[in-house]
Amino acid sequence: MAHAQWRNTRYRLSRSPVTVLGLAIVALVVLVMLLAPLLAPYDPDRLHLAVRLAAPSRHHWFGTDEVGRDLLSRVIWGSRSSVTAGIITVAISMSLGTLIGAFSGFAAGWFDTAIMRVMDVLLAFPSFILAMALAAALGPSLINAIVPIAIVRTPYYVRLARGQTLSLRNRGYVQAARSFGSSPWHIVRRHILPNSLAPIVVQATLDIGLAILTVSALSFIGLGAQQPTAEWGAMVASGREYFLDQWWYPTFPGLAILVTASGFNLFGDGLRELLDPRLRGR
Amino acid sequence: MSLLQILCRRLLLAIMVVFGVVVVTFIVSHLIPGDPARLMAGEHASAQTVQHMQHVLGLDRPLPEQFAIYVGRLVRGDLGLSIRTQRPVSEDIRHFFPATIELSLAALLFALAFGLFLGVVAAVYKDTWIDQLARVISIVGISMPAFWLGLLLLELFYNWLGLLPGTGRLQEGLAAPPAVTGMFTVDALLAGEWGTLRSALEHLALPTFTLGFVILGIIMRQIRSAMIEVLQEDYIRTARAGGLSPTRIILGHALRNALIPSVTMLGLTFGDLLYGAVLTETIFAWPGMGNYVVESISSLDFPSIMGFAVVASLAYVLINLAVDLSYLVLDPQIREIG
Amino acid sequence: MSAILWFCGVATAVAAPTADGTLMIGKPSEPDTLDPHVAQSNNSLTITCKTYETLVKFAVVNGHATADVVPGLAQSWAVDPSGEVWDFTLAPGHRFSDGRPVDAAAVKFSFDRLMRIAKGPNEDFPAIGAVEALDQRTVRFRLTYPFAPFLQSLANCGGDVVDPAVMAFAVNDDFAQGYLATHSLGSGPYQIVHVEKGAEIVLEPNPYFPGPPPRIRRVVIKIIAEASVRRLELEKGDLDLIEEVSPDQIDVLRKKPDIVVIDEPCFREDLLFINSQRPPFDNVLVRQALSFAIDYQGIVDFVLLGKAKQMRGFIPEGFAGYDEAAPQFHYDPKKAQALLAQAGLRHLTIGFLYAKADPTWQTVGLIVQQNLADIGVKLELHEYSYTTMRDMIDRGDFDIAIGNYAPDFNDPSQYLNYWVDSRLFGLAGNRAFYKNPEVDAMIRRALSEKDPAARQTLYQRAQRIAVEAAPYILLSQKHYEAAMRSNVHGFVFNPLLLQVFNFEDMWKSPSPN
Repeated sequence: MAHAQWRNTRYRLSRSPVTVLGLAIVALVVLVMLLAPLLAPYDPDRLHLAVRLAAPSRHHWFGTDEVGRDLLSRVIWGSRSSVTAGIITVAISMSLGTLIGAFSGFAAGWFDTAIMRVMDVLLAFPSFILAMALAAALGPSLINAIVPIAIVRTPYYVRLARGQTLSLRNRGYVQAARSFGSSPWHIVRRHILPNSLAPIVVQATLDIGLAILTVSALSFIGLGAQQPTAEWGAMVASGREYFLDQWWYPTFPGLAILVTASGFNLFGDGLRELLDPRLRGR
Repeated sequence: MSLLQILCRRLLLAIMVVFGVVVVTFIVSHLIPGDPARLMAGEHASAQTVQHMQHVLGLDRPLPEQFAIYVGRLVRGDLGLSIRTQRPVSEDIRHFFPATIELSLAALLFALAFGLFLGVVAAVYKDTWIDQLARVISIVGISMPAFWLGLLLLELFYNWLGLLPGTGRLQEGLAAPPAVTGMFTVDALLAGEWGTLRSALEHLALPTFTLGFVILGIIMRQIRSAMIEVLQEDYIRTARAGGLSPTRIILGHALRNALIPSVTMLGLTFGDLLYGAVLTETIFAWPGMGNYVVESISSLDFPSIMGFAVVASLAYVLINLAVDLSYLVLDPQIREIG
Repeated sequence: MSAILWFCGVATAVAAPTADGTLMIGKPSEPDTLDPHVAQSNNSLTITCKTYETLVKFAVVNGHATADVVPGLAQSWAVDPSGEVWDFTLAPGHRFSDGRPVDAAAVKFSFDRLMRIAKGPNEDFPAIGAVEALDQRTVRFRLTYPFAPFLQSLANCGGDVVDPAVMAFAVNDDFAQGYLATHSLGSGPYQIVHVEKGAEIVLEPNPYFPGPPPRIRRVVIKIIAEASVRRLELEKGDLDLIEEVSPDQIDVLRKKPDIVVIDEPCFREDLLFINSQRPPFDNVLVRQALSFAIDYQGIVDFVLLGKAKQMRGFIPEGFAGYDEAAPQFHYDPKKAQALLAQAGLRHLTIGFLYAKADPTWQTVGLIVQQNLADIGVKLELHEYSYTTMRDMIDRGDFDIAIGNYAPDFNDPSQYLNYWVDSRLFGLAGNRAFYKNPEVDAMIRRALSEKDPAARQTLYQRAQRIAVEAAPYILLSQKHYEAAMRSNVHGFVFNPLLLQVFNFEDMWKSPSPN
């Protein structure tokens, strides 16, 4: 059955080249992230004052910034800051949210109601505004940008996981496990979670794209990564005043954000189509 | 359940959420580093003045009491004094809000028009190159850094082509129309000032496109998936079998049914509009809330930041409540589930 | 259909090009207040210096501003032998924008208000004891000690004279600060006619100002935060003048035929404060080591693009009391390392405090970080908001911090009585927390020393001792940069009045299209 599913999946993927493109981008970015020390031609923090604001050339493919740091190296290393920030954010909200949601759905009763009300409150906030306020209060730094975004995204996973749990908890094998006296934790872990994963994974992929954008946006307005950390949003912010004469400075990091976020979004979108029976089309 | 019962339940829920919003903003305000009393009193203040300021701000009282004071102030519309401008934050917000509303509404209209069109087209021609292209456009829209697009547009339309004006809301020398809503386009229309209307529209064009492009992507995706779902439905197949023309089916039945679940999304888009406004307004020197908040952030003017967060969140809650309620009215099925 | 044509027609008629009597200015940020007795930053001076007047003003000789003082609102003055009693006779004909005459009572009111509000501008007048209106046109200032630069100090904008009628707008003991934050009531050549919060400030001529009406009949100051956008509008002609142009942009704009660049040496200085009360910085060897480790020329060349000079002493070149023989540190990493070793420190980690208030600070921080890394010192950059940073400096909660300084009037006391007086630790003036009783004695004596030669000697000796002790790392004396369209004429740059433009003397020649 797995083999047939895989063939089926491959067929559908081929009908959606855009999704494959997304996957390719994600793979490329992850590769760059992992191999950064090998790929970057220069130390991203080293100043080369004599060649400040140099145009793209043989020596500096992406040009240099106002203190002569090589932009290609900074964009490569920036993938670590930006993408890792995105992944950590989603990892936190996904694990936290899924656990809370699964337990909430499984336990039901007043516990469930209370959790859902708290989630409603969190969801009531326009997420960026809350992230911004928290990041401002905690002080500008990359870590302090990750935490608020993770908190703000958690309710989505809680809802998803809870929804899945609710539909699963009355299945036969779950009932059986309960009658055997298995602990709730055990049931959630072994029976409920593995079967709820699909929509959660889709949401997570899409969220990584969103998280990268949000982290960049926060850095852009001065609340995220600080100097001299190479982070795409911060680079776009530093580079914007040079846009008219040294177009490369804010453009390459901006392109990096655009391409990476698009990659995750395209792939996540495509995944959702694949896995969601209702969207399979005629 | 009767409509009234549902309404009451939703309202109750909304009130709880509003209370939650207030609690959260209160907690966040107390995470702030630095001594707010000191910041407010100014750097030339003596220790006595600072102490006095602490007393005035109620910082020397126990936390629950401070919360009560905070809520009391909020109810009266007192959001504190901005450190940067030394003016009441509520006054500042009231002054800057209409400009943001104007821009947001314009962007929403723009995004709706194009988003609807693209979404329907993508759904009808699903999996063809048209669909793929539309999806790429929508995702590029969502992922594009707003400042970049804005600056590019300015460079192109303002500098190179000279077709549209640069920053600001009105041409220099033109007085604002008599204030009814605070939105220059609407007010000019109401007052019959055509010259002003034209200038206001010209100045609105580029910011609208920049902000709208982001929302466009979101709307397009939503319409597309809703349309695809609806197009599967049996009654659509029946209508086709019955010989109704495809266009009538699409526009007549499918779209209407696809729009209903999309209404919910409209409320959520408001959050994205606020987010987009924060990034877009600075580029065009559009004197709205977004611009104000960015300035407040760079000087870490916490009363302003928190005031904005409270107002924005409350507005968001209210809009979503309104959307939820209208959804109840529109979709009979939901009423039965309650 | 005809409605549409009419609509387009009307719009065209209304969309006239900028009239030649209107000056459009682009400012990066909104001045926090337009009240001259409250405003602390030069950003407000663009407006307050033109909406109000002072008793004396800086002379303009052959199109160049000088630091000499000539009559303003006062036509003559006299001081008694003790140096503590000054009498000013007011010139006739000056009126506030509401038509009321500028009389002695108004001057007294103004200075009383300045001292009562006490939010900073009053600090340029530390010696004023009492102000009396002897008659309609004579004002007497009684000083608590013979403050030598008193006459000079009256030219700075803290001494602006405000119309007493402003008290009609006072709310709850605020002395009308709320009103004057967004309005003007002064006797200057212009008055504020419109303020749109966060967006623009509009000035028009004061009808009661003596002399013929100015050629610039409207000044519109637009707040545009984005530097690239300000520049675009200048190039397009929608703005006539823009402020805060980075050194990079200056070089590009210089080459454009219809743009004129203002790039003049001024007295603004960038420097680092070393917290001299905090170990190990209380050891002079450590401070001197740091001073030798910095690549001063590199900063001048690559951050300021040559539009600056390394400082020599605290007092900038061209200013009263400048000492061209003052000691000066130079870039010598080996010596720096040797001094550190002598102090017994091999490895050191230091925190560098800065804010985004000045775009070059971050870059300077990066360079200093690299310079110090080369001598084995690890520098950690800590960015905070400007307000928090100032708070931390005031409390001495830092290792090294960066800042800048510009004087208000042409006298050595502006530097030496603030930077090194141990009574003024913190934001009040001594941001390096430097304490030397010998220096204290010298500068305090100099403040009331009536013999100019003795005064000069005292300040010179004090400066040399203090510079040698390296509580400050003296980086660069900078240029002032702005850009205008080439059809704007009559601007006279005054290094003591940065961000102030003499609108009343400026004019625009018709633009080509």
